[in-house]
Amino acid sequence: MKILVAIDVHETRTKPAARAAIRFAQDVVQKTSGSFSIALVGNRINEAVAAVNGFGAEAIYLLDDPQLAGHLAQPTTTALVHLQRQHNFNLLVAPDSTTARDYLPRLAGVLSAGMCRGVCEAVTRPEGLCYKRNVFSGMVTRWERITSPLQIVSVEATAVGEPRKGTDAEAIPLKLNLPSDARTTFIETRRAHSQRPDLAVAECVVGAGRGIKSAEAMSKVEELTDKLGAALGATRAVVDAGWMPNEYQIGQTGKSIAPKLYLAIGISGAVQHVAGIRAARTIVAVNKDAEAPLLRVADIAVIGDLGKIVPRMLELL
Amino acid sequence: MKVLVTVKPVADHNTPASEWMALQKKERANVNFIPNEFDLIAVEQALRLRDSGADDICLVSVTTEEHLPHLRTALAMGADRGIVVDPGQRHLDWHQIAVALKFVVEKEKPDIVLMGKQATDDDACQVASMLAGMLDWPQATFVSRMDVAPAGDQVTVERETDDGIDVLRVTLPAVISCDLRLNEPRYPTLPNLMRSRKIPLEVYQYSQLPVPDEPNVEVDSYELPLGRNGVITYAADADELVAILKERKLID
Repeated sequence: MKILVAIDVHETRTKPAARAAIRFAQDVVQKTSGSFSIALVGNRINEAVAAVNGFGAEAIYLLDDPQLAGHLAQPTTTALVHLQRQHNFNLLVAPDSTTARDYLPRLAGVLSAGMCRGVCEAVTRPEGLCYKRNVFSGMVTRWERITSPLQIVSVEATAVGEPRKGTDAEAIPLKLNLPSDARTTFIETRRAHSQRPDLAVAECVVGAGRGIKSAEAMSKVEELTDKLGAALGATRAVVDAGWMPNEYQIGQTGKSIAPKLYLAIGISGAVQHVAGIRAARTIVAVNKDAEAPLLRVADIAVIGDLGKIVPRMLELL
Repeated sequence: MKVLVTVKPVADHNTPASEWMALQKKERANVNFIPNEFDLIAVEQALRLRDSGADDICLVSVTTEEHLPHLRTALAMGADRGIVVDPGQRHLDWHQIAVALKFVVEKEKPDIVLMGKQATDDDACQVASMLAGMLDWPQATFVSRMDVAPAGDQVTVERETDDGIDVLRVTLPAVISCDLRLNEPRYPTLPNLMRSRKIPLEVYQYSQLPVPDEPNVEVDSYELPLGRNGVITYAADADELVAILKERKLID
């Protein structure tokens, strides 16, 4: 199989999930023979080459253009269609993220390709490659097969390991000269700058749920998060209430996490939330309700008053 | 302004996984259907566009006849009319659904297509962007705020991303996919529920449209995910919890 791994570069950096997409491509190459190349997509991306080099890619194409700075779906699609027409890849792989969820199906639509989103694993079967996905809030696993000549998949980073070391590749800049499309204007990105680790890769995550009823209790949870050097996440209810920004949301429609330790504080465990924490190694439920659904997936639990448990943990740590 | 909104009936979240799997395999299954939560946000947004000049709000659903009551429920929120593309016995993939919607869009020529950001059953999150690509229209996905320009030819949107919020301005016609925090969908009133029963639905048979016969993505098989180990250790209080975490080397 001839594979392309498309990686979006934000402010000269690739995201940690990019490594999982490379590993996924390595695994498919091992199963089917063939080779993989990498496309870095963005603006002023030269510095990002080092982060994806040394994993055995055949080439690293630099799709570098001012139009690609905001990762809008239209120019990103145009750039990748251009590369695809030159090289006729059989499989296009990207790390699953809000960027990929935005542009990748557009690319699939333009190229009439079948796509699977959030793939955890690929296996070879007599009919061809099968991709494993979690559906229905992660309550069901489904194996899907793509029958179109070009296959497109996005990779669920929490399900795939680190890439294996390999040879270096040559970085090949492409002249794109993408036309500007006046129909879509990127205005700005607003982000809350946090000193805490990235949710998607943190070894320890503290999750805040509706059981935290006051701003004071929330500040104790934040204090606990920082004492543990953890990332902070939240349920939909907490984000909806405006207590935390949207990028903190964990679950079916937010982020998936895979920490060694997930400390769920005041989280009842709706299926939508549990969908995002299944890959956590150890789940600890701190809850006043002994019947909370989260206890069906938790490894350790303490039932009681959060207003007493969290401050006491702060004293002990 | 003409607005087209897509609505998909999905199994509600209390459906046991085994029943949902049976449903997918077209076996007898006991499943309660509801309109996809994100699609209702799209319907609500369309209704809020009435003040910006939306005078034709049409809902479209690619679904079989037995699910029409769910389309009626969505219609009862206040939409004007409905279109159904009936796939019959086929299991359509996202590409086929997007092509069917493209057919409807080209026929109806809406100024804006509003969709839910994903369906809560197969969590594919594909059809909105796919449709925009096929139409060569601008797109804005995962939208949590939307303002229509006074001239009615552009919308400024805020999109929820992994890093925060992106702000874009797109020229209509465009495809917009709606995220949770865009609005709170209204409940249909009883008179509207009664009224919605009389709204005529235009029905197309998928097999008679200029659409692909074969899917690009086929389902190979279903499985139940491996459960977690199911053994839970209870700590009596914070002291015991911290002791367990230290003993298991989960914290220093």
